[in-house]
Amino acid sequence: MSDDASAVGARAAAVLDAGGVLRAATLEERADWLAEAALTLEREAHHGSKTLSEATGLSAPMVEWAARTTLGTIRKDAMLALAQEARGRSPIAMLSVVLAANVFTASVRGIVVPLLLGVPVLVKASSREALFPVMLRDALRRIDSRLGASMDVVAFGGGDLECEAALVTLAEAVSVYGSDETVEAIAARLGDIPLVAHGHGVSVAYCGADALAKVPIGDTIADLSLDICAYDQRGCLSPQLVYIEETTQSSAEHFARRLADEGLGPMSKTLPRGPLPLSIGAAQAQWRGIAEVEGTLIRGHDYAVAIRPPQPIRWSPGFRNVTLVPVRGLDEAVRAMEPIGTNLKCVGADSVSLPEVQARLAASPVLSAYACTTGTMQTPSLNAPADGHPIWHGLFQT
Amino acid sequence: MSTRATLRGRIERLISSFEAGERVEAAARDQLIEDLAAWQATRISEYGRLQRHGAWPPALPTDVFRFRRIAAHPEVEDRRVFRSSGTTSSERSVHAYRDLGLYDFAARVAARHMLFPDVERMRLVILAPREDEAPDSSLEYMLARFAQWFGTECTWVWRHGALDLELLTEQLRSAEASEEPVAVLGTSFAFVHAEDGLGRQQFELQPGSRLMQTGGYKGRSREVDPEALLTAISTRYGVAAPWIINEFGATELSSQMYDTTLREAIDGSVGPRRLWVPPWMRATPVDPDTLQPVKGEAIGILRIDDTANLDSVCCIQTSDLAKRLDDGIVVLGRAPGATPRGCSLAADQALGAR
Repeated sequence: MSDDASAVGARAAAVLDAGGVLRAATLEERADWLAEAALTLEREAHHGSKTLSEATGLSAPMVEWAARTTLGTIRKDAMLALAQEARGRSPIAMLSVVLAANVFTASVRGIVVPLLLGVPVLVKASSREALFPVMLRDALRRIDSRLGASMDVVAFGGGDLECEAALVTLAEAVSVYGSDETVEAIAARLGDIPLVAHGHGVSVAYCGADALAKVPIGDTIADLSLDICAYDQRGCLSPQLVYIEETTQSSAEHFARRLADEGLGPMSKTLPRGPLPLSIGAAQAQWRGIAEVEGTLIRGHDYAVAIRPPQPIRWSPGFRNVTLVPVRGLDEAVRAMEPIGTNLKCVGADSVSLPEVQARLAASPVLSAYACTTGTMQTPSLNAPADGHPIWHGLFQT
Repeated sequence: MSTRATLRGRIERLISSFEAGERVEAAARDQLIEDLAAWQATRISEYGRLQRHGAWPPALPTDVFRFRRIAAHPEVEDRRVFRSSGTTSSERSVHAYRDLGLYDFAARVAARHMLFPDVERMRLVILAPREDEAPDSSLEYMLARFAQWFGTECTWVWRHGALDLELLTEQLRSAEASEEPVAVLGTSFAFVHAEDGLGRQQFELQPGSRLMQTGGYKGRSREVDPEALLTAISTRYGVAAPWIINEFGATELSSQMYDTTLREAIDGSVGPRRLWVPPWMRATPVDPDTLQPVKGEAIGILRIDDTANLDSVCCIQTSDLAKRLDDGIVVLGRAPGATPRGCSLAADQALGAR
């Protein structure tokens, strides 16, 4: 699927036109339509998981899990609550969205929230993964023609400036997911059109001593394993580093061994990793070797856990290669996070540590990440912030 | 119990046997790799920490050479230190040598077999800096040795960080007129600079002339598809494609591999272009998860066991993608790690954490 500039322009005009009808519908109507479309899409993703698996490089069980957990957040009550947060503002006439390919369901919030708030959306799908946005569009169309007309998908090669101009010309804001280079390049060409940037990011987790003692450790292991394995650790919300508070009763090595044996190993069967691309495999071999040379490495069939000191950070290539970092407590963990700055998107924390982690992030002059409990890092609620802003950032007239 | 002296002797005998035209048994090489690795693991703590997977000793990732000194001898005994290109210290691999005897021996025998099998010496034109301009480059060191071992005369046409096009043209015209074959040796990016600078000039180098290119681009010139560059320089210099070969070397290695086409053209045989692996090396595409050899001609990541790496680590895991082809190896280039790495790579760069 590839569109030329005239086709992109025509679709942009049609989507813009549909905005009036979309806004004429009530908020309740829009929420009903979207909730129903989410249910429809979840069923279709279940039936089409093999095709989606081939398109995304994730295993079929992972595709089903991702679709179920993401679309499960599109509930009427959650949407109405979100709309309440943003009440009293005038929506922009149209949003254009440029999607990346690393997490296929990332498009859902980026499309559903504008539609809920009365903003029609034209989506430029990643050339590598256009299937899911098209499925979403088709689900919207089946539920209600007014909703369906308010969202469309185009595809063209990156760097096609004519198509890109056609994509953004009618938009009142442009939301871009992708590498920092992609975001910067598009920003430079947008002129006065506001940009909502979703550039590179990484996430980390923190487990305090209580998570290893008072809370049943099995829960901590299950939660962390899910956060690590979801989307094969390819996304901005995937924890790359897990800071572990070491005490005389709990060693990082003991925890790493249990994480591997009781968490990541079993999850290889229930949510298997997708095929490892050779390019990632080459990086994985280097990362694992360095981890083994510099610290401890526990290697499974399709995952690895390294134990390393906080500095220097050596980012893994993802794909279920995670680093445990022993620290003396939250103070040391936050100090270790600070150099990551605004690239840090999310901090998962055990439920006991979460309030303190939230307070520390709020007080930090250099960190803008949000905090959530481990086990939910990859399944943000509909109203979770994105890149330090409310999810509806950029969707209203200023 | 192996000692450095006995291991060194065994490596030399392996290379000498090949030089003398004797058959080198893979089993002897494999046993030497095993013994070398065991000896190195006791002397290089970083290597000693790696766990064995499968039948072969573990392979040390090339990236480790960027972060740690990998040597079986103390720094005070370094005779020469080679560094890969790069702008910051963390981007540069460092390979320390206690002596260069094995390096020289392996380089000379391999080049004699694959690059100069038909001539004792010949005229050399080198598209690379002189050794004194880049004293920590293993490539420049090797080319300087080639000048000593194989050159009748040698002209270095890369000066003060740039290609001297006038001198290159003069040398090539002079070679055309002399009716004497010439070997033009250089980096791939230098050949691209020559392509960009020589305009419409073409040369008809004498039969027996040959070109050897090595290395990647590393941002030093525009990148050119290898097939397109081969065609372009074949036309430019008037040298048939089989007489244009790639050399594969790396800072972390002491031996080199060469394309087979020149040797086969001289021997009157024909085969697909592939890298010849010297019998004192083992080059194996491996599965990135298991690190075990892939089957048949499947693509894997290239592991190289180089017995000439006596004082560092013999078993090396590269990031190059490769596959077996006939009796050789085809290197498909460095894996482009950026694309599917999600959001991590740019943060990595932004933080300067590597």
